[in-house]
Amino acid sequence: MLEARGLTKRYGGFLALDRVDFQVRRGEILGYLGPNGSGKSTTVNAVVGLIDPSAGSLSLDGKPMLDDPVEYKRRIGYVPEEPHLYTHLTATEYLMLVGRLRELPEQSLASRVAELLRLLLLWDSRYSTMASYSKGMRQRVLLAGALLHNPDLLVLDEPFSGLDVTAGLLFRTLLRLYVADNRMVLFSTHRFDMVEQLCSRVVILSAGRIVAEHDVSSLGDRQSPSLEEIFVRVTRQSDFTPLARQILEVVQSS
Amino acid sequence: MPSLLRLPRLSQSPRGRLTSHFFASLFDFGVLTPAGSDALTHWLLGAVGGLIAIGLGATRVYAGKYAALSGSHSPEPYRIAVLGDDLFLVGLPMLLVGLLTVLINQALFPDERDFRILGPLPIRRPLIFATKLTALFSFIGVVVAVLHIALSPLMLMTSIGRHSEHGVIDRLGAWLIASVTGCIFAVLVVAAMTGVVTLVLSRTRLHALTAISRSLLLAGLVVCLPFVFRLPNAGASMAGQAPWLIVVPPAWFVGLEHVLLDTSENWALRLAAVALAATAISAAIVAGVYVLLFQRFEHLLLRPPSASPFEFPRNPIGSSRRKDSSASESQACRGVSRFISATLRRSQLHQGVLLGLSACGVALALNRLVGVNWTFSPPAVQPDSFLLYISFWAPFAVMFVAGISMRAAIALPMNHRANWIFQLTEADATRGGEMRAVDRVVTLYTVGLPVAFALAVLWTVLPPTKAVIAVTLVALIGRVFVHGVLIDWRRIPFTCSYMPGKRMLVFTLVPGFAAFVLFISFSVLLVHTALKRPVYALIIATGLAALSLLLRRSRIAEWQQTPLMFDDELPDQPLQLGL
Repeated sequence: MLEARGLTKRYGGFLALDRVDFQVRRGEILGYLGPNGSGKSTTVNAVVGLIDPSAGSLSLDGKPMLDDPVEYKRRIGYVPEEPHLYTHLTATEYLMLVGRLRELPEQSLASRVAELLRLLLLWDSRYSTMASYSKGMRQRVLLAGALLHNPDLLVLDEPFSGLDVTAGLLFRTLLRLYVADNRMVLFSTHRFDMVEQLCSRVVILSAGRIVAEHDVSSLGDRQSPSLEEIFVRVTRQSDFTPLARQILEVVQSS
Repeated sequence: MPSLLRLPRLSQSPRGRLTSHFFASLFDFGVLTPAGSDALTHWLLGAVGGLIAIGLGATRVYAGKYAALSGSHSPEPYRIAVLGDDLFLVGLPMLLVGLLTVLINQALFPDERDFRILGPLPIRRPLIFATKLTALFSFIGVVVAVLHIALSPLMLMTSIGRHSEHGVIDRLGAWLIASVTGCIFAVLVVAAMTGVVTLVLSRTRLHALTAISRSLLLAGLVVCLPFVFRLPNAGASMAGQAPWLIVVPPAWFVGLEHVLLDTSENWALRLAAVALAATAISAAIVAGVYVLLFQRFEHLLLRPPSASPFEFPRNPIGSSRRKDSSASESQACRGVSRFISATLRRSQLHQGVLLGLSACGVALALNRLVGVNWTFSPPAVQPDSFLLYISFWAPFAVMFVAGISMRAAIALPMNHRANWIFQLTEADATRGGEMRAVDRVVTLYTVGLPVAFALAVLWTVLPPTKAVIAVTLVALIGRVFVHGVLIDWRRIPFTCSYMPGKRMLVFTLVPGFAAFVLFISFSVLLVHTALKRPVYALIIATGLAALSLLLRRSRIAEWQQTPLMFDDELPDQPLQLGL
């Protein structure tokens, strides 16, 4: 189980995360929702170890991250929000680099990379540098890189952006099977439909604080509000009609 | 883009704005921050001022030279000097314009980025092509004008002597026409090469091959610099109609200049014909490339990447064939080695910095060697001591510059935001392996290039045994020098952000020059001493080998304990101006 306790991050005087607590249990996909600037990416960066939290702790299966950060990172796979890749490399070269940095044995790494490229429909483009890849192809490379070392926890930051329908369906099925094997997924997204289809629980973040935590299965019930309604309510989103009208007035004025 | 590089507001029309946009994009190298771009602007303006100042300063030298020549009874020395200076005054602008064109070659033709950004806007394609050409011609025109303004006082000095065969105005006019044509030829040759590569190769192949061709062209032109400065000595060859001049482009345009001055010599006519034919052919190629690009832009630039293993190994997955030889290296070391080599092979910027700067070192060394009449064959007699000294000096000059070039190249970032994968996988256990890869690449280049240079030079001036000893010492000194190159280095190459102008130029140049002089003097002294007696050679070689081993161990131990750096930092201590 991944457990965050009192996770806090300050950038100078700005409080990006304020005593955030959540858990990702084995066998579950936890949805992590929030408007822009709510602290989602800060949380994700702290969980994967790219930034140090100002206060609070993270532990994986009861072992605090700070006791052995290298072992902690070894058990995590990460797909960032933007496909930041070394686009002058081919997908093969990039995945081999990732595997080697994770010290995977050369022989099994080579065959695993080849298989992943085939299965993720990247084999035909294996000689091309990723500069010529579409966003969806880059997302697939990132997912392959995150799964390469068979991690216990997958941290996904908007992994479906740019994917076509087929690849989206494949990813969803893959994630379901992945957690069925008693693994964990932290799924940060803006998309309510994805959370409703994939996640067992959802945590909603606003202005650096957790404002709601829900069991997604109960949302299908007719008496309970939809996830979107809950989101709008807890994050205090206003009615957007006047704003939309103003925008149209600006573009329609001569 | 800095405001100083924008063209003055031509108009508010799309044509004016687009020309201004293309003009500014000539300086867009993709890695400079706004502050860096601003610094570049000021540097360019300073360079223009400096160039004019140097031109005026050199006038004094030319005045003295031609006053002396005018005083001689025979007109022949004067004529030979003028021929040599004509070669120089045509060759220098050609070379500088060629170099500049190579530097901006990413902007010579409309590319995929132009298509994607400008395509959806209500702009017609002829306008895109026309404004691109206008921006290019404006820029080249300004550069050519500045160069000729800077050099015209020198041309005047060569034209006002007692023995001058032509009037000042005639000579100035002929020189301007010939030299400007030469500059246009230089631009066209670079543009033709770039254009042909653009057309012939698919996008995937294009990237690697344009990088390599541009870097080689840049390095070749930089290496030519010392030879251009020696063109004034080639007056006698020109007067004697030496056959080798037919492959020296500045000579073609000097021929053209002489034809314009009404000469009827066959030699000049032949050179002029070559000049005009070469210019016409390169112009035709460039025009053809532009026409083809104009007609089939989408087809040529937006075609899908070829699935060809052209630039990649047949077995891109792994390195099983090399597994045995590299069994001892860690996976992290292997990964970083491949990453460095792929980046240096494919990135125009990194390759340009590495090869362009290294070529400066090679040019410097060749300049000194040519100055002492070194030839690429064993001397008939025992070489004099100064030739011997310069032969020892040259490989160390190459080594020093190669070290600096390599450090500069690997310090520049590549897709800085993609470095998260290195941050995520950083660990004490793997850091040593990763940095070993850096050590290996730097050693290979900083030692390999000067050793190759030393092999080429020293076998011509030393007996074989001594040459072997000297080359071995160059390699061992290189191993020690690598420690200096990697001092305070704690980055995976290309993964750390870059902050230009962290310290004032003078604080870099002065200690750098002092280090250059000290390093070369001490290294030459070591080689010189070692060649006196075999026992000295043995002691020095053993000492250097032990020292390099010790230094390597200490830096790897230090790297294993020090976290990597992913964001460039300002120096800890503020600079003391000492006013």
